[in-house]
Amino acid sequence: MKVTYSWLKKYVDIKATPEELAEGLTLAGSEVESIEDAGKEKVLSFEITTNRPDCLNVIGLAREASAVFDEDLRLPEMTLPEAAEGGPAVGCTIKSKKLCSRYTARVITGVTVKSSSAAIKDPLIALGMRDVNNVVDVTNYCLMETGQPMHAFDLDKIKGGKIVVREAVKGEKIITIDGEERELDKGMLVIADSDRPIAVAGVMGGQNTEVTEGTKNILLESAYFDPLSVRRTARKLGLSSDSSYRFERGVDKGMVVPASDRAAMLIAKETGGSICGFLDEGEAAPSETEITFDITRAGEVLGVPLERDKVEKILTRLGLKILGEDGSALTVQVPSFREDLSRSIDLVEEVARIYGYDNIPARVNKLIPQIERKKRARLVLEKIRQLLVGAGLNEIMTYNLIGEAAVERFRALSAEPVELKNYLSEELRYLTPQLLHGMLKSISWNLNRKNRDLGLFEIGKTYSKGSGKRRYAECDTVCIALTGALRKNWVEGAREVNIFDLRGAMDLVLRRLHLEPVFEPRLVEGFSVAAIMKLWGSTQKIGFGGEISKKILKDYDIEHPVYLCQLNLDEVLESAVLENHYRPIPKFPFSSRDVSILCEETVIAGELYEAMAATGEDLVQDIELVDVYRGEKIPSAKVSYAYSIKYGLPTRTLTDEEVGLAHDKLKNTLQKKFDISFR
Amino acid sequence: MKTLERLLQIEEEFGKEVEACADLSRLEDIRVKYLGRKCELTAILRGLAGLPVEEKKEVGKKANILKNGMNTEVQETRERLERAPAEGGATVDVTMPGLMPRVGTLHPLTQVMDRINEIFVSLGFRIEDGPEIETEFYNFEALNIPLDHPSRDAFDTFYVDDEHVLRSHTSNVQIHVMQEQAPPVQAIMPGRVYRPDAVDATHSFMFHQVEGLMVDKGIEFSDLKGVLSVFCRSMFGEDIKMRLRPHFFPFTEPSAEVDISCIMCKGKGCRVCSGNGWLEILGAGMVDPKVFDAVKYDPEKYTGFAFGMGVERIAMLLYGIEDIRLFYENDIRFLEQFK
Repeated sequence: MKVTYSWLKKYVDIKATPEELAEGLTLAGSEVESIEDAGKEKVLSFEITTNRPDCLNVIGLAREASAVFDEDLRLPEMTLPEAAEGGPAVGCTIKSKKLCSRYTARVITGVTVKSSSAAIKDPLIALGMRDVNNVVDVTNYCLMETGQPMHAFDLDKIKGGKIVVREAVKGEKIITIDGEERELDKGMLVIADSDRPIAVAGVMGGQNTEVTEGTKNILLESAYFDPLSVRRTARKLGLSSDSSYRFERGVDKGMVVPASDRAAMLIAKETGGSICGFLDEGEAAPSETEITFDITRAGEVLGVPLERDKVEKILTRLGLKILGEDGSALTVQVPSFREDLSRSIDLVEEVARIYGYDNIPARVNKLIPQIERKKRARLVLEKIRQLLVGAGLNEIMTYNLIGEAAVERFRALSAEPVELKNYLSEELRYLTPQLLHGMLKSISWNLNRKNRDLGLFEIGKTYSKGSGKRRYAECDTVCIALTGALRKNWVEGAREVNIFDLRGAMDLVLRRLHLEPVFEPRLVEGFSVAAIMKLWGSTQKIGFGGEISKKILKDYDIEHPVYLCQLNLDEVLESAVLENHYRPIPKFPFSSRDVSILCEETVIAGELYEAMAATGEDLVQDIELVDVYRGEKIPSAKVSYAYSIKYGLPTRTLTDEEVGLAHDKLKNTLQKKFDISFR
Repeated sequence: MKTLERLLQIEEEFGKEVEACADLSRLEDIRVKYLGRKCELTAILRGLAGLPVEEKKEVGKKANILKNGMNTEVQETRERLERAPAEGGATVDVTMPGLMPRVGTLHPLTQVMDRINEIFVSLGFRIEDGPEIETEFYNFEALNIPLDHPSRDAFDTFYVDDEHVLRSHTSNVQIHVMQEQAPPVQAIMPGRVYRPDAVDATHSFMFHQVEGLMVDKGIEFSDLKGVLSVFCRSMFGEDIKMRLRPHFFPFTEPSAEVDISCIMCKGKGCRVCSGNGWLEILGAGMVDPKVFDAVKYDPEKYTGFAFGMGVERIAMLLYGIEDIRLFYENDIRFLEQFK
């Protein structure tokens, strides 16, 4: 909404400069976005919130200024000196009272259509509006001044001498004054004559009845159209006008007639025409609402004691009437242009914004002490983040809307995806059911920019069709990916990451949460080497990981091996233990024994470990893999694992003999269970 | 006189070896060789008895002087070596780069969100989460946003089906929290939200918000101002100024937009604040009684305030980032700047 400083000053005698005016109105809620020069004029651009259609005109803004600067508001003459009659008779029927509660039409005869006077057109031009002629310009002038959209028809082009306000018939067409042919639909309100639509109600007039230089007699429409209907119609037609913008926000029902009178007077003056008959169909303006406003209660809500005089002055300046008082309660009448005010709390805001939010004190003395300020799941997630950052990884965030191709690529790894109805593009059609796509895209982005060594993780949600009470499931998920050489320095050189770095990251996260991960080798689609993960003691699969297959990497234009895992965090958040418990430090030293196992490549290291752990009873304190050897010193297709095993008891030192016995027992068990020998 | 010559030879050899010695274990070898139990000097001293008296006197004196001298030298050399750098001696170049352990980074949005959260947590607010796929009731109706109204324009939304949307703000969580617990309520709701905006330097269809809510008997507008003022100064600096401008939100009345004095130019006016010295960073207000109606709180008994802010916007202001897309490209040259 744009207004010139000089136009505003016509209605309120403000002494403030344009800048002071802008500041004052901004701090009262009518935000001035900019002040620009247009010739000699200063043009203020306002951002008017949707609840304040009354500020979409000069008088409305002048009223605000009058309240803010405590100056009188001067309204222009808006009542015809005497009711004029006569002229050609025109009938009017409102067929849809729901969409048009009031329709008025004024006949003005004998007009001379030409360019309008400077008094009318200059203010419009300063606001960037086009001047058309002395009839159209007046309707625009009054629209800006009063906020009431009006339309002038060439009366002689209206067929059948009557106006019908009705819903359009599906497929009906009209060429609007912008020269576009519009196809109408049911539910759209039109103004019609006896055989065709002559205007899209509240949106735009039709070319067929447009006022032109040859026009002699006019019909001036001023009406109240249903906001919702105008909004839907304008949206459907993709056509927004100064009229529709105001109608859809709600115009002042009390302004329908005064604005028409004001426009008639100005048109008569501009065109030399005579003001004739007036039609008024539908409901008159509704009676004005009354609100009880308790000054004490308002002060309690705001936190500042309010003085009665001040409150009354503010409300009066805003156009409200104080009808009566009862103790601290006022009975206040709300004018028709303030339909947004219906409750006492609405008046609290009115008083507060003119009183000045800055004049309300700030205090901090009502805080509520709460014990649990973060839920456990949040604490676990925070810990996982910290662990992964500590492990040298960078956290990423990716868009969680993805395209069909990305969904299909990992279909086997994910649940049924959730599709958006009004997606922005094919690429943003689904809520992602996995974090792999975002991760691989980020890796690709970096590799393309020669960032080759990457350790990335994302903690985000994955979405899928739910079951039971929740139709959609949202699951906290972590995805970790490694590629390139993360350990690289001048002492050790560069070491490319491998799958065990990935596993190490998982081990770190889970063990620090007092959980024991179990990895089971599996074929997983999209991976060339892979395992699934469970938590020890649970049968639930919680994730998968491994080396991404070449085929998938190709889709992302990645040429380096990528190790990636994704973990569903539901069970982890549930079972994680954040608390630590002290156990006494062993007083008696442990003894170490090494065992070197020579076996076929087919023997699974994890099973060897499990077997050793199981036979050790309570004497085995730790099993550590210290070396893996393949090569010349042993037969091909064989592998040698060297373990260091710690034996001990918390209560005493074990004798060499006891350690020896335990170690032999462990070796015997291994030999019985597996086809192995010792080196 | 052969023995005397030999002593001189030993002295010379010892001198050379000690001079060349660069580490302590070598020095010990030298000590054992020249001064140990089985060394030649000991043998010579033991053999003194068999020498003629004159020679015995001379050799004995010489040998003892040599022994003492060598002992002193070994001692001095040891002290010198112990003070000197170890292995490689003076060749260690300490200007070589250190072997820094690799530590990662939290995403800048996580860091900013954590900072915001921690300020409110320290004031006693509880962090609440809620669903991103939400019913229209929680996203709109309970928040007094009518279905077909221009106010809804500001809340354009992704639809998942006829009743479910991707939440356009985290206010849905406010409704859940109030439905689940009786007042008092004092909570913040951080999270991801969605609006169907095409992506450009300042728009994203997905972004993050932190909202807050406090409801109790006797909560005033001045409490809102107090809490926000503590927040703004903790977040942006103690000398920051804050102002509230009346605004409209369907779910609060009175409503305000909250500006802080520009953190770049300290309020003088610059490009970042479009020259007016203020940056809009929050929306806030007193909870509208209609919202209380929707969650069955008695609006006569309770009042409350709510506020909300965009995390991306705050991060962009704090770090001077001009393109929102940087947050989601995940270029490590970007990520690693946020240590």
